[in-house]
Amino acid sequence: MRGRRHGPERRRRAGGRQGRLSARWLLLAVPGLLLVLLAGAALYFAPVFSLIGQRENTLPSTGPSPAATPPPPLDASHRINILLLGSDNDQKFSPDAVLSQTMIVASLDPAHHQVVLLSLPRDLWVDIPGHGTAKIDAAYALGGPALARRTVEMRFKIPIHYYAWVGLNGLVRVIDRLGGVDVDVLHPVIDDAYPDDLGGDPYGVKRLHVAAGPQHLDGARALEYVRSRHGDLLSDFGRSLRQQQILVALQQRTATTNLLTDLPNMAKDLNGHVKTDLDVVRVAQLVYFFHDLRREDVRQAYLFSPLVHDARSSDGQEILLPNWPAISKRVHELFGDELLP
Amino acid sequence: MTGRGWLAAALVLVVAGCTPGAKAPPRDPGKVVPATKRVSVPGRLYAVKSRTLYRFSGTHVTALTKDVRVLDPAVTLDGAELAYAQLTADGSTIMISSSEAFNPRAVSAGAGPEGPLWAFAPAFAPDGRSLAFLTDRGKRASGPPDLAVWRYDIVRQRTDRLTFAAQYTGGDSDPTFRPGADGQLLYTSYSYEGDPPLPAARLTWISLAPRRTVFISPPGDRTFQPAFSPDGRYLAFIRAGAGSDDLFVMPVPVTFTQDQQPYPTESATLLQPGVVAQPVWAPDGSALAFLMLAEGSFDLFMLPITMDGGVRATGGPVPLTHGSFFDADSRLAWSP
Repeated sequence: MRGRRHGPERRRRAGGRQGRLSARWLLLAVPGLLLVLLAGAALYFAPVFSLIGQRENTLPSTGPSPAATPPPPLDASHRINILLLGSDNDQKFSPDAVLSQTMIVASLDPAHHQVVLLSLPRDLWVDIPGHGTAKIDAAYALGGPALARRTVEMRFKIPIHYYAWVGLNGLVRVIDRLGGVDVDVLHPVIDDAYPDDLGGDPYGVKRLHVAAGPQHLDGARALEYVRSRHGDLLSDFGRSLRQQQILVALQQRTATTNLLTDLPNMAKDLNGHVKTDLDVVRVAQLVYFFHDLRREDVRQAYLFSPLVHDARSSDGQEILLPNWPAISKRVHELFGDELLP
Repeated sequence: MTGRGWLAAALVLVVAGCTPGAKAPPRDPGKVVPATKRVSVPGRLYAVKSRTLYRFSGTHVTALTKDVRVLDPAVTLDGAELAYAQLTADGSTIMISSSEAFNPRAVSAGAGPEGPLWAFAPAFAPDGRSLAFLTDRGKRASGPPDLAVWRYDIVRQRTDRLTFAAQYTGGDSDPTFRPGADGQLLYTSYSYEGDPPLPAARLTWISLAPRRTVFISPPGDRTFQPAFSPDGRYLAFIRAGAGSDDLFVMPVPVTFTQDQQPYPTESATLLQPGVVAQPVWAPDGSALAFLMLAEGSFDLFMLPITMDGGVRATGGPVPLTHGSFFDADSRLAWSP
């Protein structure tokens, strides 16, 4: 008869068995928990995946078939260039057939933790692949983001890795989701024929006044500030100044807020108002990059005289003629050697 | 979900966990939230939040308007009468009322031959018999609707034009009478300066009789929102810098002169850095109040000062509110 084991030895053996059981449970539980967490995160972020899954690379049947410049690796050593596109008449026409009144190249330099914002004037007279010479804002209407991207790459030699098109409602919703923006309005904005087209009437107009000076703007008010074009001597250049102001204010807002946990709600808001080919991995990288970016890390650039000059096209359009050697020099200053051959 | 999707979800989780110090965006609470440490306000300080006029007095905060949208309060030196701009569907009107905002009456036209009109930023003359304000009255059908400074004679009920703004700038802003001086005003005029031309804002001084105008800040600067001290000797104003709007103060020459070189603002003293707006002096000159951006909200602050041997702060800015999202595009007013 085997002797019964008593006391510490029994407890030790029982403890060892429990320990092995615990370890086994732990081995099962950790991946399980991770799986549940991931599934939860996936469900939570489903609207984000859905939003950024909306890609649009439509091209006209004529003309070349440009391939997008492949994005750089996620190694934080290369610039990431995003072409930001905006249209101010998507309430009147199909969002796929509108001019892009806003074209800004946002270039993120992870190595130096800096951003360059370069506004391209909508009236710039350029060669659009497959369509001859026209204002640059026609590229998006003629061939969607792919042609807009290709036009910028061909003329400016800036590799465009991603694009993001934001409609009027999209801008309003992004800003509201972030709780508004704080902007120093550069001069009073007064407009007796501001388009009042977000309320259902695409041809409505209203009177607008935005006082000068620092203030908080909600989405609708911020849109009014960037969109008004009557009563500004600088015309389109003035609008570019204001557009970049709002972008910088948005960046400042994201620097202090937990954007990631709000991404699903933002994605729901933006459904149908934003198109982009950014993927979730890159969005996460960008959010992290923007988080502690300081105001002085953002370099704002514009194309103005002597880089461009006013002219009239043969068919009577008011255009901006580019001085390409001067523009190339400026682009080199801004983007360094990370340009297309 | 694809393998890349799972990877993305994991990455998003990791990044969310690693994002330091982030919090939900600040949002307008829909009410005035007093600062944790209650501060007693001498006299009556007026501010606008969500287009409603509030009065701070002692430790009390009172909403004075309801069911109307107002901005830009102004008050007579004795505090008996209040003026403000009241927004309508397509314009705005200057109203004068009691200090409690009772019995308001319109003193500017809501519309004219030009169509609906704007009117903003009323400012009482030191004798309380007239007020300056901004309006787009007189604009041409084919021209820009820029705002200009006009004057309303309260006794004679007559209006006359004081300035002509540079075209396509949006117009003039911030008219304010100089206390203790006969017929002197300051306002902000806008222009485009440099190559490429960039928006500039300049403090502009007018003598009304005879009518003469001079800039007191340089062309390249953006200086605006001037506020005279109660004795008219000093001027507080905002100067825009790179990413900031700082509060400065300077003495103002005793008599009006066309010679303002070097510009007086160039030797002004920095009183409060930050994103500051709409400074106003306490009636006894013991403090300045202003709106300042703090944690994503424009809140009301009071800065204790002394005017002995020049203006300087005697302490740090004291918050009167916290996270209240005051309307920084509206002026403040302060009476005894």
